[in-house]
Amino acid sequence: MSRTNDPLRLEYGREVEGLSLVRQSPPAGAVSFSATYIGPAGWGFDPPGESGTAWAVNQLLLSGAGPYDRLALARLLDRAGATLSTDCDPEAAEVSIWGPAADWEKLLALLAEVVTRPRFAPEDVERVRRQLAERQLRELAQPGSRADRELLRAIYPRGHPYRSTGLGDERSVRRIRTDRLLRFHERQYTSGDALLIVTAPARLSRVETVARACFSRFRSERGPSLRFPPVLPGKARTIPLELPGRAQVEIRVGAGAISRSDPRYPAAFLANEVLGGAAQLSRLFRRIREAHGLVYHASSEIEAMRFGGYWTLAAGTAPERREKVVALLARELAQIADHDVSASELQEVRESAIGDIALSLESTARAHELAIEVAYHRLPADHFLQWPALLREVRVKDVRAAAEETMDRRQAVTVLAGPSARAGRGNRASGVS
Amino acid sequence: MTPHRGVRRPKVRSFTLRNGLRVLLAAQSTSPTASVWVWYRVGSKNEHPGITGASHWVEHMLFEGSPRFKKGEIDRAVLRVGGVLNAFTDTDFTAYFTTVPREHLSLPLAFEADRMTRAAITDEEVDRERSVIHSEREGNENWPEFRVEEELYQLAFRAHPYRWDALGRRRDIERMTAEQLREYYRRFYGPKNAVLVVAGGFDPKPIEVEVRRRFSGLPPWGSDVEVVDVEPPPSGERRATLSGPGTTPYVQVGWRSPALRDDGTVATLVLDTLLGGESRLFSGGFHWRGSREHPTARLYRALVEKGLAVRATSGWSPRVYPSLFTVQAQAANGVSGDRLERALEAVVARLARDGPSEREMSDVRTRIRRGAALAYEGATSVAFRIGYFSTLDSLPFEDRLYERLLRVSRREVRDQARALFQPEARVVVHYEPKGGTGSE
Repeated sequence: MSRTNDPLRLEYGREVEGLSLVRQSPPAGAVSFSATYIGPAGWGFDPPGESGTAWAVNQLLLSGAGPYDRLALARLLDRAGATLSTDCDPEAAEVSIWGPAADWEKLLALLAEVVTRPRFAPEDVERVRRQLAERQLRELAQPGSRADRELLRAIYPRGHPYRSTGLGDERSVRRIRTDRLLRFHERQYTSGDALLIVTAPARLSRVETVARACFSRFRSERGPSLRFPPVLPGKARTIPLELPGRAQVEIRVGAGAISRSDPRYPAAFLANEVLGGAAQLSRLFRRIREAHGLVYHASSEIEAMRFGGYWTLAAGTAPERREKVVALLARELAQIADHDVSASELQEVRESAIGDIALSLESTARAHELAIEVAYHRLPADHFLQWPALLREVRVKDVRAAAEETMDRRQAVTVLAGPSARAGRGNRASGVS
Repeated sequence: MTPHRGVRRPKVRSFTLRNGLRVLLAAQSTSPTASVWVWYRVGSKNEHPGITGASHWVEHMLFEGSPRFKKGEIDRAVLRVGGVLNAFTDTDFTAYFTTVPREHLSLPLAFEADRMTRAAITDEEVDRERSVIHSEREGNENWPEFRVEEELYQLAFRAHPYRWDALGRRRDIERMTAEQLREYYRRFYGPKNAVLVVAGGFDPKPIEVEVRRRFSGLPPWGSDVEVVDVEPPPSGERRATLSGPGTTPYVQVGWRSPALRDDGTVATLVLDTLLGGESRLFSGGFHWRGSREHPTARLYRALVEKGLAVRATSGWSPRVYPSLFTVQAQAANGVSGDRLERALEAVVARLARDGPSEREMSDVRTRIRRGAALAYEGATSVAFRIGYFSTLDSLPFEDRLYERLLRVSRREVRDQARALFQPEARVVVHYEPKGGTGSE
């Protein structure tokens, strides 16, 4: 079996107990190791009426595994100089470990324990339930997260996996019980349709051997697939959410978009970079912040997932400027779809994206993120070596077409979350005693 | 300087130019990137009422043009080669950083030299940026935690400039003039008050030549002015309650803490790790997504595990002058702010009474050792750490701190807890949510 030292050329290994194995070399000079399990355990798989389950299970994986209770696991990680983290989205759940490269075999074994043998101690379940309840309140109270939440609810119909932010509601969180969590874990944290991505200073054959020993008890059954109710074309509309007492209004504009594997993705990616994705190079930054001084943050994003996605423009501004900022966002959205970007603008964002690959090779953690993206979206093993050529093939007319097709303003939902007017000086919603 | 066997810092070549600019070069032949940081020893400590927020505002203005790089050109030049750049302002320093693919290292060196003494701070751009800074502040004000911390420092300090946030007071942002900003820039910016750090993939000899060529001709401007306003010792507890939109009660408690070079610094860093879990300054960990919990930390065990809070942490960054050590917690639903405060107080009181256990001390030492071993991965991290320690003190200071952290005794930590957690030095701010979560 060949060995590659290029972190941009992944190696797809043989299945390990049903788990698809991907190996990546760490960047030169790196001293750390990363590994991530990704399984079909996102909140799209929440059983009906039990929303919040996937989030709770994902969090509880940090609360003890196999022979280690919560405290013992934390001490073990501290002593190893390692960090365990989890994350969850509608489609999948991630469990990652990061630590010294010299200890990668031990740390991979610990990751396997955490993924396959969580403890779900009653006191931990109660704690996570309390934390989930507060997260729900925070999502409603904070203008930014509230706007994100309402945008998804406006774009997607009931029952669609992308409609939720995964936190559930008061009622569903009350219904969380250990037996339900265990059932969810047993069904969704399997090796079927799951990935193990390892960034380690070792040959693929060695990684396979170690992974096989670690994950030998893993069930390889495939769970049910996600179901996606049709998203009917919507009409452009505005949803104002009055949140008094806040200093700033958060604005989101968005609609459904394409998946990561869509052939239009490179052009849509560049269209988004021109619009608001490329930080200070982008039009939203230059025209709304730098030219008008209306906002501190203004950006855009394409959330391209495995089965679909959505695009969003985001900005925060003072209540008295909200109409003006909304109008400017709409104007920029129209511009990107109705007019060609300039060749120089396209060239700038393209070279920026290509140059950024070098920055991803600064550390194991950053390189590992590239590996996750490639592996999860089933892209070619050398995707990031091909990425510059893919981007250079994109022409000005492709960018315009991608913007028109994938950032459709005729369906755009605008959410304004915050105060409609600035509170008077003596009438702030706070007081000092 | 040779690599330190404890702190795995790359070899650093350091020198000082005639105009006072301190330069540190850390070459790593295998790095695909190069990171350039310029640290100025100016921050909100150098401001006074009327110009609070000036350091932060000047930070913004340094992206608005200089003789060779017109407005927006720095951003564009860096981003179009795939680099990243930004800056941040603290109480004691302002730092500008750029990381680029290694072959573009000359670019940040060129614009950092250009804007070190010749930034264009025009009336027009200052006025336009005023509303951006207002917007940045308002975005922060949406968070109860920001409002509580700002209130806490305002209560704790009566004389010292640490009493305002680096963003500045709203009224000062409204009234500050372009001329005031230019004067501030002329006074504090320049080679004499700066540290230049270059780390990553480069050949040190030609880069040293280039640094000398670009920076040696700059005038020896910039002053590191000592703060003369001495904060009197605290003479009693101070407290406030804020209210507004939010989730559950939130409480933050602070005590006057030692300054960076004070004897108590090492033991206070250990207290922070014991209470909150972060091994600040010597941490190899990074937080991928979401905040990290520390189940071994005392606050977590006493408040989060017991069902009183959903989050509980401590916070302390060593500063040039005595500052605040804080503990803070977000209540679980149904728990009052008063109960939360009593629980926070009980945790620190117990630590002051009994000190840490030997097992806790051993765990802290292990974490610091492990953290130090991984802290210097990647050119950006290397340049950050070298610049941070060199700006606040020196690189040997990092080594001394590390060695002392591994030697500090249980008794020293207990004694520091007793000295720190004095009831008459306590400042408490409660945040009571009201008005629910907003309209449906």
